[in-house]
Amino acid sequence: MQQAERSGNIYDLGYRGYDGLRLGRKHAIASLYFYTLRSAFGLGRRPGSKIIPMAIAIIALIPAAGQLAIAALVSDVEVYTPSNYFAYIEVPVALFCAAIAPEICGRDMRQRTLSLYFSRALHRRDYILAKLGAFATALTVLTLFPQAVLVIGNGLASKDLWGYVQDNWAELPRTIVSGLFIAAVVANVSLAIATQTSRRAYATIAVVAWFLVTFPIGGILVEVSHDTGRYALFLSPFEFIHGATLWIFNASPGADTSMDLAGFPQWVYPLVALAYGIVGFAFVVRRFDRISA
Amino acid sequence: MIDATIVRLTMRQLLGQKRTLLMLGFAMIPVLIALLYRLNGDHRANDPQEWTAQVALGRLVVGLTLPFTALVFGTAALGTEFEDGTAVYLLSKPIPRSTIVMSKLLVAWAATCVVTLIAAIPSGYIGLSGESGGGLVAAFAVAVIAGSLIYCAAFLWLSIATSRALIAGLLYVFIWEGVVVNLFRGVRILSVRQYTLGIAGQLANVSERIFNPRLEGPQALLLGAIVTAVAIFLAFRALKRWEIGEAS
Amino acid sequence: MTEPGAPPAIECDHVSRWYGNIVAVNDISFSLRAGITGLLGPNGAGKSTMLHMLAGFLQPSAGAVRVLGQPAWGNPEMYRQVGLVPEREAVYPFLTGYEFVLDSARLHHLPDPEDATLRAIRMVELEDAMGRATGGYSKGMKQRIKIAAALVHEPTVLLLDEPFNGADPRQRLHLMSLLREMAAAGKTIVFSSHILEEVERLAEEVLVIVSGRLAASGDFREIRRLMTDRPHTFTVRASDNRRLAASLVADPSVYGVELQGSELQVRTSEFAAFTMAVAGVARRSGVTIFEMRPTDESLESVFSYLVKR
Repeated sequence: MQQAERSGNIYDLGYRGYDGLRLGRKHAIASLYFYTLRSAFGLGRRPGSKIIPMAIAIIALIPAAGQLAIAALVSDVEVYTPSNYFAYIEVPVALFCAAIAPEICGRDMRQRTLSLYFSRALHRRDYILAKLGAFATALTVLTLFPQAVLVIGNGLASKDLWGYVQDNWAELPRTIVSGLFIAAVVANVSLAIATQTSRRAYATIAVVAWFLVTFPIGGILVEVSHDTGRYALFLSPFEFIHGATLWIFNASPGADTSMDLAGFPQWVYPLVALAYGIVGFAFVVRRFDRISA
Repeated sequence: MIDATIVRLTMRQLLGQKRTLLMLGFAMIPVLIALLYRLNGDHRANDPQEWTAQVALGRLVVGLTLPFTALVFGTAALGTEFEDGTAVYLLSKPIPRSTIVMSKLLVAWAATCVVTLIAAIPSGYIGLSGESGGGLVAAFAVAVIAGSLIYCAAFLWLSIATSRALIAGLLYVFIWEGVVVNLFRGVRILSVRQYTLGIAGQLANVSERIFNPRLEGPQALLLGAIVTAVAIFLAFRALKRWEIGEAS
Repeated sequence: MTEPGAPPAIECDHVSRWYGNIVAVNDISFSLRAGITGLLGPNGAGKSTMLHMLAGFLQPSAGAVRVLGQPAWGNPEMYRQVGLVPEREAVYPFLTGYEFVLDSARLHHLPDPEDATLRAIRMVELEDAMGRATGGYSKGMKQRIKIAAALVHEPTVLLLDEPFNGADPRQRLHLMSLLREMAAAGKTIVFSSHILEEVERLAEEVLVIVSGRLAASGDFREIRRLMTDRPHTFTVRASDNRRLAASLVADPSVYGVELQGSELQVRTSEFAAFTMAVAGVARRSGVTIFEMRPTDESLESVFSYLVKR
């Protein structure tokens, strides 16, 4: 009998080390950011994934289009202004969050691809930054695009374009700030809610509950019991975000609205919104620090 | 038409401990608000009858609790089976697809009724603050039972026809019924919420000042029956044509 | 085994299936009788699509699939005689193993569901775990409870999608012998796999699917033989290897001979011609052949050849 010899060989199969340029973290973050932004609108995904985000984006445009039509056909009535625009797009914004927030990180969580990210140049915080940034950018498109359409449309329709620009110049920074602010707060909180579960349906329901279930409750409680009920407005993102935009534009809520009834000073609302955003961000960070990847 | 095994299986599926508790907590919202209303003597402009009919039952129970609960149970009854990949166990049995649909619908309907009635009956009685309600609570109780069936049938069909049934249902409830119906009166004939309110209005014996739904009772009932029948028919057809997704 | 006159258990007649403009299964025809058939192909070849069409979960875009003489699509009555073990390991996590199989028995409206359940669970040797919730089962246990649920109504046709995934070697052997017993009892069993060894050990028949087309079907040794244009290798042991080698090189059917220890590796391009010629060559050179066997009859070589083509 021949003695079997222990032996081991490494065969050259032609694998080669990579010694070219490494693009590093910044590039990795940027790639993830742009990929997430595209997929938020279903770009680069199958046609079925495009229908819902695109439909919501179109719904968010309808008030602006309606305003342009009214201005062109009827008269100079200004129904939708930059300061109250959020009240008209809040439902599409909420549904966009409900549809998209579970997708932003959810697919990585469900398909266990997080470990693939974290074993690369990307750190956990970088991942969060890219994902949150992309989601907030997608939301900014939703909040600012209709306003841009409105401004351009009004400008072109006005007889005196230069005069229009001069009149509305002051509104521009406020419009942009409010659009960014809304997007940032809403993105942080809805992502925080959505990442608590990896099941898409639960995440969607939870995000919707935060926006849409709290809204009638807040409004009704203010009417029902002023002293304690008015704090319910702080539960309802539609209310405090709208309040924050009004503060940015230095405008006041209309008579007999929930905010008018509650009677808080207007500067309370941006603070509440900011607090929500920060807490939301902390939850997102905590979630991904603890997740096993 | 109904299979006891599917009914039992679906009940255990839908009524997991956590989900049941959450839904019951959700049902408590109108009740708590009605309690606050009653404890607060300052009844503002509207009287208890008007507030109960329009706010507690009309806006909260029919406008929020009912569609949201129906959406959760209606899309989950079959939707979770598709998502989890367990649907093949039901579909690979010698059972007519219509029986699967009807059994799932029965459970979703019953679960929605329970949650919605738990919200409707106490909040109605509390809101009335002891005043006679002209049968308001009973009328709304019957109306939400009917409304639950219409909603569940529609959402069950959606969950077979599309993988994004939840979002599609939300768009329907909050954009179509919440916004579009208020802007254009004509489309109220395609709103389950209006059917429900119409049925409640027919059954309740109160003046128009207190509660005046946009649809007449018989009209609402007829439209609701048609929508339910069409949704069930579409669900049968969709499940017969349902194909397994590409292996992922 | 069914008698030759009986209709085939499974019949595919020019079946195609496409998704949009992607063709997953392209004009496949075959018919199967009782016994074990392996559906073999690389991932993404269309095995699952084919199996799902047999199971009535996909509608053929063209052609017809018939199981036990009935159309497979849109015909739930077919499942009285068909059992299906899906690939996904999904189970109802809140049900115990016993309840899961029992519910299957009830959905089949069996006269004595409890008895059928116990019998099926015993077949997959899961009696010990049947009282536990399936959510806590291991992959292999989930696989076995799914098989029990598919067997509970004693189907004539059993379809299994990648049944050996997640099974450990012992369970694998057990499942294989279970399937062999069923085949011996006259059942028709079709299973898909991308692992050659499984198919080779279990299947009497193979259907090789490559890029959506039926690349080969039948007994794999027979398939191998049919492919005469592909070089074959034989291992030969003879009384004088070196002398035999010298004579074989002279034969036109042989294009390579190699001495390997006490054996001779002979490569030929013409299978039939070589097997006819070899005895004569040996006799003429006065060498006795002790043993001659094909070296690469394994499915692996058939398969890699088919895939490469």
